[in-house]
Amino acid sequence: MRTLEKELLEAKTVTLMRCNISSITPITNVKPRSLSIVSALKKISEADSISLSPENDGSVTSDCGVYAVYDSNGQVQFIGLSRNIAASVDLHRKKVPELCSSVKVGVVDEPSKESLTQAWKSWMEEHIAATGKVPPGNETGNTTWFRPPPQKKPDLRLTPGRHVQLIVPLEQLIDRLVKENKVVAFIKGSRSAPACGFSQRVVGILESQGVDYESVDVLDEEYNSGLREKLKSYSNWPTFPQVFVNGELVGGCDILTSMYEQGELANLLK
Amino acid sequence: MGVTKEEVESSLTSKLSPVHLEVVDTSGGCGASFVVEIVSGQFEGKRILERHRMVNAALEKEMQEIHALSIKKALTPEQWKQQQDSENSEATT
Repeated sequence: MRTLEKELLEAKTVTLMRCNISSITPITNVKPRSLSIVSALKKISEADSISLSPENDGSVTSDCGVYAVYDSNGQVQFIGLSRNIAASVDLHRKKVPELCSSVKVGVVDEPSKESLTQAWKSWMEEHIAATGKVPPGNETGNTTWFRPPPQKKPDLRLTPGRHVQLIVPLEQLIDRLVKENKVVAFIKGSRSAPACGFSQRVVGILESQGVDYESVDVLDEEYNSGLREKLKSYSNWPTFPQVFVNGELVGGCDILTSMYEQGELANLLK
Repeated sequence: MGVTKEEVESSLTSKLSPVHLEVVDTSGGCGASFVVEIVSGQFEGKRILERHRMVNAALEKEMQEIHALSIKKALTPEQWKQQQDSENSEATT
């Protein structure tokens, strides 16, 4: 029969075990949270297969988790983990459409680096146990499925420095810059660390489009001295950020956001 | 210091004669940041960039003190009606 005393004793033991967790590792019942998270994760064999046909667009979740991409022969090509499964799968489909026929998804509810890695491991292990091999896309050296390392371009500078006398008027430099580059974003801060929420959103939108663009930091007083005022009059636009495409002002954050939401931006950037 | 919501509204009303106007002060009272939704017949045939320019121009005086102006909508009455219709039909279906 259970007694209060026994329960208390047990509780005490648990507490003790918690305190000494590093010294008594063999005891597993107080071990990690990550186990319980993984147990909530569906196994590959249990997850539903989602066809990646165009009419099925939007059926992949944009949650965090793991996913397995299948080719048209039903073979797993790649097992990945992502903070936005739909976006990752979209990138794969753009890059290697012939290898992306369907996908299985395992959402990780409380995503952390550990829980995601744990979930990914469990899917890899399950796959290896079932097939005896690593998916081709996960083999070392295969870079098909990985995003190219983010190559943050440096921001462009308009002048060699504010103490250098310009031979060409600043206005002309702006004009050349926006005409010689397809997409130019004049932002506050650098593209790797925008200094204003609106600029950050614009950078985010441009990056999500995978478009090659130039950025100019209008707050850089050393190399873009005087640019803020000049640009406002050049473009007849009072605020920043400002995005130019093919030499023409498209607009600021509001316009870019609305074009992005309406799906008009992709056309413009083609 | 700062600009009031009423000042923004009256400038926009007198210059763009909107049929619908919503100005929200998002600065927490210091008058430096506004969100605007505006519907005006004067936007007819104008691209979104030109519409925003018109709003900016109407607020030229105020803009000197406004730090952030977000123009959420700049629509023609017809677009506005369409948008409301579609919202209503979504609500009823």
